Amino acid sequence: MKRSNKLERIWLLAKIEFKLRYYENKLGLLWALIKPISDIFIYYIAFQKILKQGIPNFVSFLFIGLILWNFFVESTSGTVQILSTKKYLYEYTNMNKIEIYLSTVLANCIGFFFNLLFFIIFFQFIDKGTMGLSWHALYIVLVFFNLVVLALAFSIILSNIYVVAKDITQIWIVVTGLGFWISPIVFKLDNFREALPGLDYLNPVAGIIINARNVMLYQRMPEWNLFFFDFAYALILLLIGIFLLNKVGSKASEKL
Amino acid sequence: MNNESTFAVVAKNISKTFTISEDSHNTVKHRLFNLFNPPRAKEVPALKNMSLDILQGECVGLIGRNGSGKSTLTKLLAGVYKTDTGYINITGSTMLMNLGVGMSHELTARENIYVSGSVLGLKIKEVDAIFDEIVDFAELRDFIDTKIKFFSSGMVARLAFSIAVNAGADIMFLDEIFAVGDMKFQEKAVKVFESSWIKGKTVVLVSHTMDIIQKYCKRSAYLKKGELVFFGETAKAVELYQQDNQ
Repeated sequence: MKRSNKLERIWLLAKIEFKLRYYENKLGLLWALIKPISDIFIYYIAFQKILKQGIPNFVSFLFIGLILWNFFVESTSGTVQILSTKKYLYEYTNMNKIEIYLSTVLANCIGFFFNLLFFIIFFQFIDKGTMGLSWHALYIVLVFFNLVVLALAFSIILSNIYVVAKDITQIWIVVTGLGFWISPIVFKLDNFREALPGLDYLNPVAGIIINARNVMLYQRMPEWNLFFFDFAYALILLLIGIFLLNKVGSKASEKL
Repeated sequence: MNNESTFAVVAKNISKTFTISEDSHNTVKHRLFNLFNPPRAKEVPALKNMSLDILQGECVGLIGRNGSGKSTLTKLLAGVYKTDTGYINITGSTMLMNLGVGMSHELTARENIYVSGSVLGLKIKEVDAIFDEIVDFAELRDFIDTKIKFFSSGMVARLAFSIAVNAGADIMFLDEIFAVGDMKFQEKAVKVFESSWIKGKTVVLVSHTMDIIQKYCKRSAYLKKGELVFFGETAKAVELYQQDNQ
């Protein structure tokens, strides 16, 4: 039996996907930075200057929240039509479709990695008055892994719904638009929990952002309840996704 | 080990029915507004209950008139479509080839070669090794870093054919492939087809040209209106097909 070239293939597809996204235009990788910077600028003016929330180091606070959220949105909204755009990969062969998802999410991870690097540089060396990073920051690997599983699960579920209902694309744009405001991205955590109790558990991205801030900004351990709850949440959704992929996705080549 | 290991494809009691609905109920909105008014669907039985098996290293012909279910059957056997009933066991990677083979028009020829090669089961190093061969065979040396959306259809077909010839999956499904390129290219294509596919790979050949089927295939399947009428010696299958055409 020949050794499988699966990992190599996923990596190859991810690299090409990444290249297509960032090197196709002249600004290239800069785009990956411009998006969070312009967002931060807008929310800084709205929530710190006008609404005066008074969160210390608000830019760093926003920065880490936004890059996690953007990763989630890009990995889900950006892949709703993946079974259609990547049809050329499975239309003529018996390739396993899960590899298509893994490679796309991996491409997004590369993008996220650059964002995180910029965040760390900013947080550690530019933003004044922060606590700085500690060994707690290593937990970001686990927290981010949680987000990757979650994004992968949503990506699979949505793209399979797309096979039978094309307007899921528009619906998901509305859902993520709402999701942004019911995640603690721009709000002070205490206010968020007081105003919308339970939502830090109901919204699976909320806990991830909360814990990412704990370990990156505040030299704290993750909130373990939330941490394990969100992992289970993501895994259950992933199972549903894989079930759907076998049920609906296997018919994608005839339906799309 | 059991006998199954010498089979490339084993299909048992497979069938396929396509549902064609008259109006498109493929949005959430549509489904909600028409909850009590389900779409009128028409069922088209493309393949009726059949069983067949293909041995490893064998070249099998597939003949029948237009609409007899040849393409559907190749797609089922290649694992691209899912069968409605029964089961299909496939041993190895498969590749379906007709005029346009799985390539992305957004990628360059170079990228497509690597992606296709990898999907067909090769390692990057193995693709490196045959890269030049693929390019030279396709006669596309000057356009290697051009996106294939700027290629002519002939160039795309040549590239696809060249990848398939040099990389090839374990089981190849070839749907009328001898129509690619000019005469010189076709000659070349037939030559490698004989040397690299007939010897060593499992091939399912779909063609309306009986000469080709008779030349390469010992066994052939004859389909008629979604039914497997005959599967066995090629001469007999061709005879049945020609009788039907008269």
